[in-house]
Amino acid sequence: MDCAIKSRSGAQALTDYCAGTMDALQAAAFETHLRECEDCRRVVNVQREVWGALGEWSPPEVSPDFDARLYARIRREEEVPAWRRGLRRLFQPAVPWTTWKPAVSLAGACMLVALGFLVRVPETPDLTPRVERVDLEQAEEALEDLEMLTPSVAAPAVAK
Amino acid sequence: MQAVAALERDAELMLRVRVGDDTSFALLLDRHRNSVVHFCYRMVLNQAVAEELAQEVFLRVYRSRATYEPTAKFTTWLFRIATHLALNSIRDRRNEKGQESLDKDVLEGVERQVADRQPSIEHEMVYKTKLAEVREAIEGLPGKQRAAVLMHKYDEMEYAQIAKTLGCSESAVKSLLFRAYESLRSRLAHMA
Repeated sequence: MDCAIKSRSGAQALTDYCAGTMDALQAAAFETHLRECEDCRRVVNVQREVWGALGEWSPPEVSPDFDARLYARIRREEEVPAWRRGLRRLFQPAVPWTTWKPAVSLAGACMLVALGFLVRVPETPDLTPRVERVDLEQAEEALEDLEMLTPSVAAPAVAK
Repeated sequence: MQAVAALERDAELMLRVRVGDDTSFALLLDRHRNSVVHFCYRMVLNQAVAEELAQEVFLRVYRSRATYEPTAKFTTWLFRIATHLALNSIRDRRNEKGQESLDKDVLEGVERQVADRQPSIEHEMVYKTKLAEVREAIEGLPGKQRAAVLMHKYDEMEYAQIAKTLGCSESAVKSLLFRAYESLRSRLAHMA
């Protein structure tokens, strides 16, 4: 038997034990554990107290005119035109359509994907530096031109 | 066996309501009126609001009679409507700033009266104080945890039915109850 205060399954056992919904075999195993574990005994005592306190909480009596008021509402509802009743049923269902929530999310996701295809994203310029292949001959020519431009003899000193 | 019979009985009555038998609706109302009103009361902690919500629950049941299909337990469907309406009410009331529970005031008023008139009824005072503490502890729980505890404790629903009512998995219900009882134990530990 798992310890009630150390594991989730143990906590469920504690709830079931105090609620009296545990079968006899499991209850016996739980009681064996309780004899050994002081912490669990303490938690069980508090849980029993909570369970008992909740049991003492009785709500007030239902008003004697509850049914009469309900039937009056139903009569008023019946007097409403059929198309309005239909609309009410559509927009105010007995149980909310929780299945709509994932459907709406899915539709939203599909729309985003579709938009992604439709809208053209401008191409970003390629910023990687391009290394041009330098031709060897071209380089030699450039060096020669440079030599021609550079004076081979130092310039004569200016006469005083 | 009794539960199965009750399930069949409810579904049978509702199917009769579907074909226009109003007597069957009256029988259904008679069978479930108290449990729905009490559930709503424990959820919203206000008798007037609870009865209003319970009326809306039965009105919606009546309104949906034409499309009713006995695919699930009738009480699961009934409490699903009640839980949805109660959670909405709690949310709306929370938004109304500074609003105090009318019933709480009434209870406190009763306590004051008892204290003034009859100091000898100490046990009654203790009892009322205990109830007030229980109410406060329940009020302190988040809506879904509160609904799970109420269905588990007062309507003796199994985890699977609570799960269907709340529209979540069974393990989520166990987790909700675990956290709710843990919270209640910490709030009410001094009673032990």
